[in-house]
Amino acid sequence: MSERLKKIFESSNPKTKLVSYFVGCYPDYKTCLELIKEAIDNGVSIIECGYPTSEASAEGPVIKKAHDKVLENGDTIKDIIKLVSEIRNYNNDVGIVMMGYIANLYKYPITKFVSDIHKAGADACLVVDAPHELKEENILREELNKTGLSLIKLVAPTTDDNRLQDIVKLSSGFLYQVNVSGVTGVKSANQTDVESFVKRIQNLTKIPICSGFGIKSPEDAIKIAKTGCQGVIVGSAFVKYIQDNLTDKDLPLNLGKYIKSFTKELN
Amino acid sequence: MKKNSLKTGPDDLGYYGEGDKAMGGMAVGETLMPALHELNNGFEDAIKDKDFLDEFAYYCKHYIGRPSPLYYAENLTKKLGGAKILFKQEHLNHTGSHKITNSLFQILLAKRMGKSHLICESGAGQHYSATAAVAAKFNMPLVGVMGDIDVARVNQNIIKAKHYGAKLKTVPGTLKEAITDAIKTWTTNPEYAYICGSVVSSSPFPKIVAFAQSIIGREIREQSMSQEGKIPDMICGCVGGGSNFAGAIYEFLDEPSVTKIGVEAHETAALTNGTPGIMQGMKTYMLQTDDGAKSLGGMSLGAGITYFSVGPLHSYLKDQGAVQYSSATDKEMLEAYKIIAQTEGICSALEPMAAAAEIIFRQAKDKPKDYIICLSLCGRGEKDLDTIQEHIGKDFE
Repeated sequence: MSERLKKIFESSNPKTKLVSYFVGCYPDYKTCLELIKEAIDNGVSIIECGYPTSEASAEGPVIKKAHDKVLENGDTIKDIIKLVSEIRNYNNDVGIVMMGYIANLYKYPITKFVSDIHKAGADACLVVDAPHELKEENILREELNKTGLSLIKLVAPTTDDNRLQDIVKLSSGFLYQVNVSGVTGVKSANQTDVESFVKRIQNLTKIPICSGFGIKSPEDAIKIAKTGCQGVIVGSAFVKYIQDNLTDKDLPLNLGKYIKSFTKELN
Repeated sequence: MKKNSLKTGPDDLGYYGEGDKAMGGMAVGETLMPALHELNNGFEDAIKDKDFLDEFAYYCKHYIGRPSPLYYAENLTKKLGGAKILFKQEHLNHTGSHKITNSLFQILLAKRMGKSHLICESGAGQHYSATAAVAAKFNMPLVGVMGDIDVARVNQNIIKAKHYGAKLKTVPGTLKEAITDAIKTWTTNPEYAYICGSVVSSSPFPKIVAFAQSIIGREIREQSMSQEGKIPDMICGCVGGGSNFAGAIYEFLDEPSVTKIGVEAHETAALTNGTPGIMQGMKTYMLQTDDGAKSLGGMSLGAGITYFSVGPLHSYLKDQGAVQYSSATDKEMLEAYKIIAQTEGICSALEPMAAAAEIIFRQAKDKPKDYIICLSLCGRGEKDLDTIQEHIGKDFE
């Protein structure tokens, strides 16, 4: 269990945490670092730092395009871990979650991966395609536990109560509540559905819930924040902002302003 | 099933084998996990239901035309002057390949489970057109996902599927991209049934597809016993994901006296040149970068065997040393096509010509005349005629 994540959720400021996903090294190492620094300066509580995989099975067109660009640039998961260590040097309070697929971790291999992200200052890891049925998830979870880091588990609208109970028991840090059945950045979240899902989870556990998928604007974020979750996760909207403004000389600064439009509503 | 049997696996979580070397598993996002468990339960329940199995057998016979013949390729045998060669004529099935047996099985299963909509992926379009046919028969809407490179080269299957009423989603790439996108499409519609075309992807698909296709091997045993008085000494088939070959050998897995050779495309020979990795829902041998970030592999003329990875059952059988795996080049496949067209009057798809090349150029000649080789001809060649003409012309000589 990550102490830093625990501290973040124990604090009442901000009331609802903004968790923001970045594709590590997108559009390149240096710019990505500047973008994340601005995100931190503008009130993001937790950074999800994505590492790319060519066969990512849950990414919509926006994030897939960013993944492909990083792979094309030749930046690897090792570069992204180095990026994490620079983020940690810049700020000691922000939560950092490594997020991606099991393909890269299996090859890293897992024990060395956990030791490397621990050294770099990450707090947790989230693996999209590693349900607890997968042997490698068990290995990863054990390693993270030993190291004092968290494995962030996902729950989806399709997850029934029995399964939810199993997952909650294995969760650490926070629970990633997937709002819609689908890939990232396509469908929109429905406030009523999210609210009943949050209640369903809270009947079973006190672990902080961060709600993600389908949150595309500050207005969406406000609506989702009212459902009783402790954090809202924004991914594709920020990656799309970066994608649409790659030629902007002041991209980091302007992304910061865009992020501020979310965080100022969540205080 | 006795312990120590190669037919025992996979376990409840989809693993073939044990410990670090176990292959398969379930590497998919949470959204699909309940659907996969539901499917596994639905499958385990259905195969205990005699009425369900009888219905499957009925349509196998009357709709597909099973059993497919086991045919003595006399001219080819004489030309090579060695082993006796039998063709398992899967290309004579309705829609022209082994794929329809699996489509039929999974659609009957989907119907039994109360599903109303279908998704499938396809490489050569054989699985797409087969699934489209059965979907039409049982009045279920189907969305098929294919790579644009394949759509351009196997046009006949696309046209047929359209006539059957299926909708096609095209993504940039080949079978690999189609599989990844089919999972995304399913994640977006988890209440649909995903009709997976090969022994690939997350558990329980490898198990379900192997079960459906294992009819091929049971027919081989029965036909070979009645026609030849013994089972084959060797079974050879092509491998992309590996469903046709898995189906042909499954029956004989516990009989080491039967030599089994699976043949991949040279450009995407995961079992010869790959290493274990986890992508597209399964742990298996695959071609990928050392850091596991990117799938690799070139293009073969055989659209259905242009696949960087392979079904986990085959990885397990390779590690067990129970099955041999090799590969064939485009040039060898075209040469084998020519020989089989000229000696036997059969226009085969290019994919099984990878296996034919192995038999013709490397296996048959030095074997005695009473040595029986069974070659699985898993698809017919109409879809490949443009490709064949482009590479070797209409006039061979």
